[in-house]
Parts: sequence; C-alpha cells; structure tokens
Amino acid sequence: MTYWPGWIGGIALALVMIVHWFGVGRMMAVSGRVTAIVDRLRFGRAEAEDEDMSEAELLAALRAETEAAFGSGAVREPAAQATDARPSGARRSPQPFLTHPLLFVAMGVGGLLATTGGATPTWMLRSEGFVSLVGGSQVLAGLVLVVGGVLVGFGTRMAGGCTSGHGLCGVSRGERGSLLATMAFFGAGVITSFVLGSLL
Amino acid sequence: MSPRALRDLAGVALVGLGLGYALSRIGFSSWDEVHAMFTFQKFDLLIAFVVGLVVLVPVWAVVRKISRPRWLSRPIHQGTLAGGLLFGVGWALSGACPSIAAVQIGEGQFGGLFTLAGMFGGNFLYSVAHQRWFRWSASTCVDD
Repeated sequence: MTYWPGWIGGIALALVMIVHWFGVGRMMAVSGRVTAIVDRLRFGRAEAEDEDMSEAELLAALRAETEAAFGSGAVREPAAQATDARPSGARRSPQPFLTHPLLFVAMGVGGLLATTGGATPTWMLRSEGFVSLVGGSQVLAGLVLVVGGVLVGFGTRMAGGCTSGHGLCGVSRGERGSLLATMAFFGAGVITSFVLGSLL
Repeated sequence: MSPRALRDLAGVALVGLGLGYALSRIGFSSWDEVHAMFTFQKFDLLIAFVVGLVVLVPVWAVVRKISRPRWLSRPIHQGTLAGGLLFGVGWALSGACPSIAAVQIGEGQFGGLFTLAGMFGGNFLYSVAHQRWFRWSASTCVDD
C-alpha cells in the first residue's frame, strides 16, 4: 500500500475542514458528534438538542423562561442586543440528529472506496506491528482495542475535542485549550508508542 | 425536512466521504503508520497534520475578517490536560483517533468495531463521571 505524500494529505485534510465550515456552518468536531450520539441515547431527544443550542438560542430560551417566571420586562434589553447581533455563518439551529451517525457511516464508505481490491477483511487490524503486539491473539487484540477505544472516548470528551476539533481546527484558530490538548495527546501518544515499541 | 437540514445532511455526507477516503490514503487508519509517526520513524502523517494547519491558519483568518463567525472558544479547563493525555494513550494503543475506527471498519479491518464500541463506552463513562465528580465546565455546554 503506497500512501499519499504528507503534503497532499495535509491539503486534503484542510479541504475537508473548510468544506465542513462552509457546507455545514460550523467547525468540524468528530468527538463532539460522538458526544451528541451518546447524549441522545442517554437522555433522549430533548436533552440532546439542548446540547446543540447555540449561545444565542440559549440566551433566547433563558429570556423566555425568565419572563415566564417573573413577568415580561424582567429581562433588560442588553440581552436582546446579544441575540440580534448574530453574524452570518453562525450556528442558528441544531443540526438534524441524523448528521451525527451519518458522518461515521460516510467515513466508513470513504475508507471502503479507498481500499483497492485484494485487501482481505479481518477481525484484527491489517498491521504487522499490532498483530505482533498482541501475539496474534484475537482475544488480546479485542481487549487492547476496547481499552484503547475507552481511553479515546473518555479522554476526548474530558478534553472537549480530538484531532479534528482541537488538533486541526482549534490550533489553527490559535485556541489555547486546543494547543494544550494537542500537545498533551501527541506527547502521550509518543511516550506510549515508545513503551509499546519496546514490547514489539 | 427543511432545506437547511438537507444541506447539513448533504454537507456531512460529503465531508465524511472525503475525510474517510483521505485518512485511508494518507495512512492514518493504519496502526503501523500511526506507530511509526509517534516513534518518529516516518514523517508523512506529521507532515500531513502540519501542512493541514498551515493551510487552515490563513483560511480562518480570512473567514474571521469577512464574516465574523461566532466560533466557540476553546479555553483551557481542568479536563484539557488530563483528557488530552488519556486520549493520547488510547490513540497509541488502538491506533485510532475518533474518525479512524469507522474508516477501519469500511476498509475491512473489523478490529475497528472493538475500538468504536470502546470509544462510545468511554464517552458515556466520562459523561457519568463528569456529573458525579468533576462538575467543571467543559466549555461547550452550559451546566450548573
């Protein structure tokens, strides 16, 4: 398997993030979509959509609740200005829930299209290093992957982002949290990989 | 379905196809390639990441100037460092950041199913742990 040179890959990744911004009107954030799916399963429809509220919608909702509780006029006008000054391109309404699972299905199809014939399906990974790490054991492979997956899911939600939202889109906007998270996950990846490498 | 919803669905489908295809062709969905990146034996994945950043910086700068978008800021919070570290360990173990499990399944590397299940489980575990113990603001949602 010959891979694209790094610079072509980089342009492709950047294009994907740009198309996401212009096509969907928000920043790409894959782990955020995992969170949206998990919360929908956990809390059902209403809560999941609350999570997707924009700041402006939250302000409007808070205002409505406050007025319902304390009578109209309870909210002074600066709040209204904040809701009116919505610049173009900002998120205005929750995106359909279906977009979240759809992204994962579409990425799978993308992977399928990129795999040219002859690649045998496997319940492992097609990587010699990984197969040697688990000593060819399917049980151990499943265990390592589940544990790794749990750490990925737990850590990305804890840090509030992953390689797309923090790493590419956050760092390129100069966000400090993204910079710290990205240094942390690259650093931890390097150390863990050197430890694993000594086991191979 | 509203035109906006259709636009979102079409956009996400296009982005997913493109990202899945690109990640696979770059080598991001290969455990060996990711391992070689983290141990500095091969540099193509790192170059891809850095070139991606180099392209995006001026693009966002222009977008910011022209349309003044309301982007969520991503400040440092109590979970940033610890979460990033845990994610890094998991990425090195499974060879997968959150996009990758789905790509691997599409490629016929069904080991990705274990990773995907673990990833959703880990996300769920964090949401429970966050409510019970941490209770800090994770920056994207309004909590008590």
